[in-house]
Amino acid sequence: MNPSPNMYTGSIMTPDSNAFTSPSTTGEDDYENEPPLLEELGINFDHIRQKTMAVLNPFKSADHDIMQDTDLAGPLVFCLAFGGSLMLCGKLHFGYIYGIGVLGCIAMYGLLNLMSITGVSAGCIISVLGYCLLPMVILSFSAVLLSLKGIAGIVLTSTTVLWCSASSSKLFVSALSMENQQLLVAYPCALVYGVFALLTVF
Amino acid sequence: MENLKEITLTHCTKQSAVIDLGDVETEEFKVLNESDYESDEVASRKDKGGGGGQSGSPYEAAKQSMTENMTKMMWQAGTQQARKAWSLYGNIDILRPYFDVEPHEVRTRLFQSFIPKPIKDRQKIHKELYGPVMVIFTLIALLLFQMKAAEHKVEEGTLMGTAFGVCFTYWLGAAGLMWFLCFVCNTRISAVQILSLLGYGLSSHCVVILLGTVIHTSHDHIFFYCLWAIIGGLSTLRMVSVVLSRTQGHRQRLILSGVLTTLHLLFLLYLHFAYHQIVEDLSGVFDDKDVVPNPVKDNVHDSLVDNNIMGNSSVIEQDHPDVAHPLLTSSN
Repeated sequence: MNPSPNMYTGSIMTPDSNAFTSPSTTGEDDYENEPPLLEELGINFDHIRQKTMAVLNPFKSADHDIMQDTDLAGPLVFCLAFGGSLMLCGKLHFGYIYGIGVLGCIAMYGLLNLMSITGVSAGCIISVLGYCLLPMVILSFSAVLLSLKGIAGIVLTSTTVLWCSASSSKLFVSALSMENQQLLVAYPCALVYGVFALLTVF
Repeated sequence: MENLKEITLTHCTKQSAVIDLGDVETEEFKVLNESDYESDEVASRKDKGGGGGQSGSPYEAAKQSMTENMTKMMWQAGTQQARKAWSLYGNIDILRPYFDVEPHEVRTRLFQSFIPKPIKDRQKIHKELYGPVMVIFTLIALLLFQMKAAEHKVEEGTLMGTAFGVCFTYWLGAAGLMWFLCFVCNTRISAVQILSLLGYGLSSHCVVILLGTVIHTSHDHIFFYCLWAIIGGLSTLRMVSVVLSRTQGHRQRLILSGVLTTLHLLFLLYLHFAYHQIVEDLSGVFDDKDVVPNPVKDNVHDSLVDNNIMGNSSVIEQDHPDVAHPLLTSSN
């Protein structure tokens, strides 16, 4: 009548031997047909690589569909790398990174939902802001070798903040079709990444 | 078990809320009857179901069903009211028109916030909130930069929380006060226009704080006071001219201009002396100058001289010149 009684027949102390044989015969087929672990987890290395290249080259135009699949694996890796690089400088700021990230994502979520016609999901915001943190990770690794409080440090920090804001605004306007408002999107992104830069410098 | 299923089926068809167990004669209850504790209870239940309980159980059933129906109706009515209120007031689309701007418009309005205009003509105020919100966030970022540069420590709080609290409290609080005064003085201005006006006016504070943090002067504040008067004064004159162009009556104009000027300029003074003053003190300490007098040190020194303790300490210093007396050394 239903397959479950085959699993649970037999007394409690002497389980039915069929209960072990029947799933194993069907289990082998399921095991072969199971999707790969990375696919089940939603981690696509090819997409991660494409998004990373889109961030590293802010002058290249981005595809409209590049941010349709919002994955958080890449942003998580970049945030951990940022925290780890700050730790190499003797600063334990994982909590600050989390707090500033959450605050920045909430602010950008509210602002972009008010400015765009179609609206934007929170996952897209987190994904874009997380991916565009990559230049800041490079800056924090360079802070291990040289001081950022001099003239060279100021120039490098400013360049990094502009790089991050240009990449993030490019991805946002391509996803939300707001080409004439890229500067208006870039400025709040610059403020968010500027606060991350304060963490790195001071 | 099958009897219970039949009873459940009949209960569903009858659409009643209660299953009268007095009508049931199942094997489970026969088993219960055999137990010592529950036999009397079941017997009493049977007696009730058999004879005089016939009038009690329908009444209780009706009462219970009415209670459930009333509860359900109250819950549905309350939920509908809450949904209507949320859709009316919590809709984010109410604010959407105030964020529909172009970059050149924001740039123009930022520059115009430093240019006062004559009061004769009624001046237009754009109902826009993107620019003011960005100015507030810029001010927060600059305050953070200033506090980080000064190594300002905040007890029972965080730097970010302090900056957010200070900026948004001033913006909303000052706008609320000005809105009330404009209502009293019969000024033709709306709440969103006041928010926009005050928000753009804070761009002067951003400029002054940025210049004050980047350019360090010696222990006088003349540079800051010049910036405060010129840049702060220009933005104040602009805001005052806009408000006065929409107000009739000398007394009302005087009240509004006085309150607006006081709020705007005093806030800039507060931002400087609360968060920037520390930079001057630290630079004075590193230059080995007594920027802040230490009255404790002087009092201790005087008391030691009076009590003749200085003699002993001088002996100690002669024998061990490298050892400093703990009461005589000042600690920063």
